[in-house]
Amino acid sequence: MRLDLSSKLALVLLLWLCAFLLDWSINLILITLLILVRYLLPGYRPQSARASKSFNKFLFYGGTIVFLFAGINALFLRGGDVVLTIATLDFHEEGLMFGIRTAVRLLLLSISILLFFASTPLRDFIRFLQQKGLPPQLVLVLLLTLHFLDQLPARIHQVFVAQEARGAPVRAGIFSRSQALFSVVSPLVLSSIIESIDRGTALEVRGFLHKPVPMPAAAHEQRSRNLLTAAVILLSVAIIIYSVLRWLLV
Amino acid sequence: MAARLEIQGLSVRYSAGATPALNEVSVGMAAGSCCAVLGPTGAGKTTLLHVLSGVLGRHHSQVVASGSITIADAKFSPLPKIIQFPLVGLALQDPSVQISGIRDTVYDEVQFTLDNLELPSHEIRQRIPPLLKRLGIDHLSHRNPTTLSGGETQRVALATILAAQPSVLLLDEPTTALDLTARVKLHRILKSLREKTTVVVTDTHVDFALGVAHQIVVLDQGRVIFDGTPREFLAALENFESVLPAASWRRVRTLIKTAKEQPGSPHQRLAGRLGIV
Repeated sequence: MRLDLSSKLALVLLLWLCAFLLDWSINLILITLLILVRYLLPGYRPQSARASKSFNKFLFYGGTIVFLFAGINALFLRGGDVVLTIATLDFHEEGLMFGIRTAVRLLLLSISILLFFASTPLRDFIRFLQQKGLPPQLVLVLLLTLHFLDQLPARIHQVFVAQEARGAPVRAGIFSRSQALFSVVSPLVLSSIIESIDRGTALEVRGFLHKPVPMPAAAHEQRSRNLLTAAVILLSVAIIIYSVLRWLLV
Repeated sequence: MAARLEIQGLSVRYSAGATPALNEVSVGMAAGSCCAVLGPTGAGKTTLLHVLSGVLGRHHSQVVASGSITIADAKFSPLPKIIQFPLVGLALQDPSVQISGIRDTVYDEVQFTLDNLELPSHEIRQRIPPLLKRLGIDHLSHRNPTTLSGGETQRVALATILAAQPSVLLLDEPTTALDLTARVKLHRILKSLREKTTVVVTDTHVDFALGVAHQIVVLDQGRVIFDGTPREFLAALENFESVLPAASWRRVRTLIKTAKEQPGSPHQRLAGRLGIV
């Protein structure tokens, strides 16, 4: 099944609602499904090897952060039973649950949005926004921001190499890295601002703000996709009603 | 169709009280001609191009300006306040920023400009292949535009602008990042545009400017200190040695030397046309 961008965005909205309204165990199942969905649904496959690698890296670091977050909360938020003792450190049930709930919520929020961008080419997203009649100025700002984020890893690498060539200890220990951070961040921010202004100007002089680009899709295909989007939105509404009822009844 | 360009007493300050970036600039350019604007860094070359393209009027609300600009039949007093697309095309100094990043191939990248013009698809198909061929990048049409060399990117950037068939083409220091071969190719492209488009090119390479331009304008601290033909410029050469880069003079001297030593060479033909030898 191929998903169009309306359905994918509606799914992101649904997942965000789930993250805030549903139990952490359901959210954990949703995260697992999201990790699997990129292998099962063509519309969610990462658009490039680089996107796939970045997504995997995020999963690794995300998992580590969830683990640490839960551990730290269990250590410092003392409430409920002690679930684990390592040496003289007690890990408490309430802190552990709070840590898991919050970390899983954050992970679901970030994975849903990351999977959307990893599987959606920038050009498709921009064209979609243009077709939906978003003001071209807003589309331009989004385009420049997303382009900047896309280019960020390569740019950081460039600045690291340049600063290293000047003798800055950018690859030494964590302390040296922190000290060198300013010398890395300043050129990164400055060059990014200048390039964004130039890129925006270049797009403007090529008529980007001239008029939106109409690109009608085949009518029947459009109808079925609209149905899917409507179904996802209905599900979102159902989850909201369920949460409100649960809150009222408990 | 190429357009006449007329700038009358144009003064521009980026804010009230600031030093003028352009000071009483008056220049006329014939339709279909090529004008090279020379000058040191900070002379006002880029500002002039941004004024003509409408970028300055649109992006800098605090600009204080006087004078007038006429492009074809459109008169702006003092500045155009909106981007003059597709009447005027502007190629920025760094060609890589000209690539949108939202198209996968060189062909699509060029088409992006025409999509913004909302041209019918049959006209788009008619326009792009000959343009790519003319610029010598037809073999790159299926390549990703972000993976090209500096010279190739420069030509693709030029194609993205020329696709809209602007009446006036503005090029901001197009030779900055180019090697000699790429400069020669750009030189040929600009020559092929004669009569079709009015070209204004800023550059610090005097030899390049002499090779392509019908008219040379020298700016210094926002003022026009010379406006004439390449031949007149060479006759008054020593007056501008302090405002233009030394490397350019060395190249002009090499050009004259080679022209004298190698009869029949391209250098000699150029030098002959300019009346150097």
